Amino acid sequence: MKTYSITFLPDNKTIEAAAGKSVLEAAAATGIAVNSVCGGDGVCGKCRVLIKSGKVTAKPNMFLDRLDIQRGMALACQTFIDGDVVIEVPQESRVGGVPQLATEDAIRYGSISGWVGEGALFPHNPLFQKVYLELPKPTITDCVCDQERLYRELRRNRDIGVMQTGLAVLQRLPDILRQNDWKVTVMLGRRGQTLEVVDVEPGNTAAYNYGVALDLGTTTVVAHLVDIGTSKTLATKAKYNSQISYGDDVISRIMYASTAERLTQLRDLVVNDINDLIAGLVVEARVKLHDVSIVVCAGNTTMIHLLCAMNPGNIRKDPYIPTACSPPTIRAAEVGIKINPRGLLSTLPSVASYVGGDVVADVLVSGMMRSEELSLLIDMGTNGELVLGNKDWLVCCSASAGPSFEGGGITCGMRATNGAIERIQLGKNGDVLSCNVVGGGKPLGLCGSGLIDAVAELLKAGCIDRRGRYDRAACGSRLRENESGGLEFVLFTGRETALGRDLVLTEADINNLIHSKGSIYMATESLLDHVGMTFDDLKHVYIAGGFGNYLRIDQGVRIGLLPDLDPAKFKYIGNGSVQGAKMALFSQEALLNIQEQIAGAMTYMELSTSHKYMNEYSSCLFLPHTNIEKFPSLLSGVQKEAEIGVTG
Amino acid sequence: MSIMDDARDKWTGTINELTIGATRADGGTRTSVVTIGGAAALPFMNFEGPTPRAPVVAMEIWDREPDDWAQPLVDVFGAVLKSPADWAKKCVEEFGADMLCLRLAGTHPDFGDASPTQAAEVVKSVLKAVGVPLIIWGSDHDEKDNEVLPRCSQAAAGERCLIGAVKEDNYKTLVASCLADGHTIIGLSPIDINIAKQINILVSEMGLPLNRIVMYPTTGALGYGLEYSQSIQERGRLAALGGDKIMSLPIICMVGQEAWRTKEARASLQEAPAWGDEATRGIYWEVATASSLLQAGSDILVMRHPAAVAAVKKTINELMVK
Repeated sequence: MKTYSITFLPDNKTIEAAAGKSVLEAAAATGIAVNSVCGGDGVCGKCRVLIKSGKVTAKPNMFLDRLDIQRGMALACQTFIDGDVVIEVPQESRVGGVPQLATEDAIRYGSISGWVGEGALFPHNPLFQKVYLELPKPTITDCVCDQERLYRELRRNRDIGVMQTGLAVLQRLPDILRQNDWKVTVMLGRRGQTLEVVDVEPGNTAAYNYGVALDLGTTTVVAHLVDIGTSKTLATKAKYNSQISYGDDVISRIMYASTAERLTQLRDLVVNDINDLIAGLVVEARVKLHDVSIVVCAGNTTMIHLLCAMNPGNIRKDPYIPTACSPPTIRAAEVGIKINPRGLLSTLPSVASYVGGDVVADVLVSGMMRSEELSLLIDMGTNGELVLGNKDWLVCCSASAGPSFEGGGITCGMRATNGAIERIQLGKNGDVLSCNVVGGGKPLGLCGSGLIDAVAELLKAGCIDRRGRYDRAACGSRLRENESGGLEFVLFTGRETALGRDLVLTEADINNLIHSKGSIYMATESLLDHVGMTFDDLKHVYIAGGFGNYLRIDQGVRIGLLPDLDPAKFKYIGNGSVQGAKMALFSQEALLNIQEQIAGAMTYMELSTSHKYMNEYSSCLFLPHTNIEKFPSLLSGVQKEAEIGVTG
Repeated sequence: MSIMDDARDKWTGTINELTIGATRADGGTRTSVVTIGGAAALPFMNFEGPTPRAPVVAMEIWDREPDDWAQPLVDVFGAVLKSPADWAKKCVEEFGADMLCLRLAGTHPDFGDASPTQAAEVVKSVLKAVGVPLIIWGSDHDEKDNEVLPRCSQAAAGERCLIGAVKEDNYKTLVASCLADGHTIIGLSPIDINIAKQINILVSEMGLPLNRIVMYPTTGALGYGLEYSQSIQERGRLAALGGDKIMSLPIICMVGQEAWRTKEARASLQEAPAWGDEATRGIYWEVATASSLLQAGSDILVMRHPAAVAAVKKTINELMVK
């Protein structure tokens, strides 16, 4: 097959690619992550690139207008190499930047000292420990073998059940013991019911015991480096999951991973991300990679399947069966994670195909399973997960909210990274009064919280009706018709934006958000109904997920995403995944609690078989809701009389 | 105390009353008006609450000669099908219609594309020919309706017509016209009570009060979704009687158009020899559909065949006897 040279700008990276390869594939091979919500199906229009020179063949699509095509714009997944080409990947089409979540999150929610440690709920009893031992030398009367000598010393003042040691360690053991005058540090790792002597190091290295707590999200990977001995967080980092180029949501990733080769490819992509993060963390914290001995990972069921390269195919197919909810603790090196070569990788258990270890971690961090009072937990992402319950019971469900909270399916949508509008305030006619841009500077697009703000503000200003349609009279000159005949509202003109392109919000965008928020609200109501309760019974509502931190409760209520409850009942729990992973890392008791009291006790409710959900979903496709009496705080006096004047 | 509990339901809600047509005294030119609604219980259940206003049958007429109507319909109307005014007159004078539903089918871009001015002329001619109140229905082509219906609304200003239909994503133009010209409006929802309610909210939030809106929850004929439409209609009515004021609106059903679309109503004797006389089959189909929907709380039935109209009116009269 003929190959051509492809150069990507402004990176100036060149690669040889076979004729017929898509630009998207070529970019991925070069290590340039191009946005692709649909995973290369040509239906999202997010992978715009500029063909600067050379020959390509492109399939027709409906995302580019005539002007775009004249400028050389093309969709990377629908454009195929047919000669040597030079291609520019504009910033808007890149999966790039550092997710906003990491640092601020760490500051706000970095400490979990209240949960683990002396006098706290869970004792400090880490999954991975380093124990310094000075062994008595063998004599003719004390002649147990080296392994037994080690075990005996370990058991002297510890209650240890089954222990095991790998052959590789035993092969080195006699020399290490004798060369170091029987003074060694034993690395002990918890693997289910068994305590493994993972390795034995010369001398006293007990103080150098580090671990990584990992939140393996569909969109973002967050890693915290911790000192296991002191329970301190030394450094935090986050980056976008490189699998994004193969689909924005879990379903498209599962579809992509349909062959063994592609499954390994997705595994390698995320493992590279993890390795990048860990490499950065150890440099920042000035610790040796060799002293990092355990990774505890919380992720949704699909992400854990992909990390372990377990076939995720059945997660997508009725009746939605995962391969394993609780994969065993393995050596991190087995999947390619670079820490101590004998270091371990543990994952938090899942409940079902669409309720994963991330949600289980959220529940642990919220503490809802320790309270008598009824709590609701909402983890808002592409897939919304909800958990309801108290110390006696937990019931959960998953609602497919679509990608709009992550900026997907929204004309000017983007993730919460530099340039994203995270907050916006509009006045009369929808004039922008104020606006917060992540990282400062000119706006590039709208992230989830900015989108919710914008729609809530447009509604407040009377620029849209309760079905999310623009009112021409109220919007004035900011409203215009776009090429496809729909209406769009110009929030910022090209002069005011980072890329010189108008920042617009279309009726279709608003409609997508309405569907997303409707599915979350309806899932909440269905879950409550399932257990015979109502919103009035709720004492606490916990908001989890990276996006959740930036959501303004009042705006969430205004559009009908969140129930209209006393604002004091809402609490943000930040990145529950990474905190939960950390707690498990520091305390075997916390992990046991996760396994038995949370994952083991949670009942999964399948929404697709809920009649209530199906019958009433369309009542949620309104702002805030068709039945406004469910949102009493939003009623004006007059409306109150007219709309809920129920007599008798 | 009786041995058995009283099994009768008690209702808190009442359906809004709504009058179609305005006489000279009210600024129009109608010689009669129709008032619907007012029900405080499920239809005809007088032991639970009154059904003060009898449901009304409106006869359907078109602005152009229908080219696909079944033979029994063509036979019964004959030459008047060519003239909306004559057709209207025949319905009122010969068949005793209490109300007419003028469908502007000929304004559809694919079926005549009559101009807004032409449509307005037809409306005027019908209003001049008869004194009964008028329902004006567009061509179900959103863009064209937005041009045609405001002109017809204007042409009928003050007559308090019932004009339709508005949908969730196309209501603003027509609501504004109805507000300006003193008409009432029909809100269409595709067999979904939530969307029905949403339309009522959207229209009323533009300033047209709930007591000037009639709901059209879409209609299915016998054998073609009748049960579904009946149950949606009934659920809506139950919500209204339960106290939901936004759902407490009268309901219109397009019985004729749906019944006469079925193959049972249309097939000739040669095509379906076992199905019986083709001259009466469609009539029965229309009557059966209408009588079923009456039980779910229909307030206006739009029908086609005079014999079916007469039969359903008779049924209504019998059901209304206390």
